[in-house]
Amino acid sequence: MSESKKTGIFSELYTLLFAKNWPVWVGAILAGAINVFMFAVASPWSGSAGYGSWGKNFYKAVNILGFEGTQSMLDNKWAMLSIMIVLGSFIAALFSKNFAIRIPPIGEIVKGFLGGCLMAIGATVGIGCSIGGFFSGVPALSGGAIMLTIGLFIGTIVAVKYLFWEMEHLPGISTGKGYSFLGATKETGNWQKYLGFVVAIVLFFIAYKYFQAGQDILGWFIVFGGFLGFISQRSIFCIVRAFREPFMSGDADGAKGIIAGLLVVLFGFVVIKTMNIGVGDTLLRSREMSFVHGNFWARGLLGGFVFGIGMTIAGGCAVGTLWRMGEGQIKLWFSAIGFLLLSPISSKFIVPWVEDTLPFTAQYKNYLPDYLGYPGAVGLVLLILFVWYWFVVWNERTGKFSQF
Amino acid sequence: MEITTTVDTKGLSCPMPMMKLAKAMKGIKSGEAVEMFGTDPGTKSDLPKWCNKSGNILVEQSDVEDGVFRFVIQKK
Repeated sequence: MSESKKTGIFSELYTLLFAKNWPVWVGAILAGAINVFMFAVASPWSGSAGYGSWGKNFYKAVNILGFEGTQSMLDNKWAMLSIMIVLGSFIAALFSKNFAIRIPPIGEIVKGFLGGCLMAIGATVGIGCSIGGFFSGVPALSGGAIMLTIGLFIGTIVAVKYLFWEMEHLPGISTGKGYSFLGATKETGNWQKYLGFVVAIVLFFIAYKYFQAGQDILGWFIVFGGFLGFISQRSIFCIVRAFREPFMSGDADGAKGIIAGLLVVLFGFVVIKTMNIGVGDTLLRSREMSFVHGNFWARGLLGGFVFGIGMTIAGGCAVGTLWRMGEGQIKLWFSAIGFLLLSPISSKFIVPWVEDTLPFTAQYKNYLPDYLGYPGAVGLVLLILFVWYWFVVWNERTGKFSQF
Repeated sequence: MEITTTVDTKGLSCPMPMMKLAKAMKGIKSGEAVEMFGTDPGTKSDLPKWCNKSGNILVEQSDVEDGVFRFVIQKK
């Protein structure tokens, strides 16, 4: 009797976690909470830094462009975090039998690669991506992050218009033979669940080895990465969906979910910044200026605009690309390749040109509490979130800006 | 109910499956249906939501093989 009860409980838990996708707000709140833990342990969540480390290590391995002194990916918390997001998503996809190698037509693969290249340029020019520049930057009360967010919106709208134009005038790009391998159905493919267990054990074993070696921060980032990938895959946590869907299907769930996550991050970051919570003896001012970069105003706006175009064409933002890689989406593997290859090149050749071209008044560090105080800065972010919420809900009801 | 159009979105990731479906739905008459094949897991949650909102009817949703899903959507 007890055996059947146990089976029932596990079966219920499995159904709860893996039968259907979670609501976006559940994933966003959990991801937001992990972002706060990450800040308490070392630093807020960054997506583009991981691709940058991957790229530099690639050029170091092939010995070109002068990245010989680059830190190994195995010692870089951002590189390891990003790898673990892929692995965490892989685990979630396997447990839910959602994994398959999905190969789109060649035109989509090219779009993925180009989208990844644009994301790399946008992230390096704007000093931030959909995660570091937006999901961490805005709650970090950075004025530049708000400009980058405006750029992301404008870039997304422009790229959505392009996608509809492409559907009408160049439909061949997304047409052609697509393939799927190793997929499962409800009845078949139970091997995916067993492999999921094995990969989960491997992930925690890797984290354990880092903790054992005294590299606690890296150990925690490995655990955080695994959970972020898992949560993102189950809840379809993707910034580009939140920005794009109001202008496509009109669906507001993605945006409402991200807003809920941002509220959690805002609350946690303000506590950490004002109370100087964290590892080491960092000065309060240094903690306050975490994720406040020299990108106010034009630099953030420009970078966000380019990133917004890139993520919309690629179909995945910095984190959306990573967890879709774990699902086996080959288009997003090419986005990641474009992102990692272009990041170091953009940092080395495009960013210096932007820095020289823009005046200082268009690329300085703007910490909102310095101008508005903490109540004013938090109030401004809450007002922006409320206006966004109002817009997506109103648009969902009226269909004013949605296309289908 | 007559299936008049088949949309193949195998291998495509979001937003392309929903964009292709929306385009195909514009090209059919009320009461007719579109058959859609896809592999993007996100479509499984996007499509029912879109049908609820648009008033179109999701007549059938099934797993075919190798991670391929089949949907039949009737135009309202």
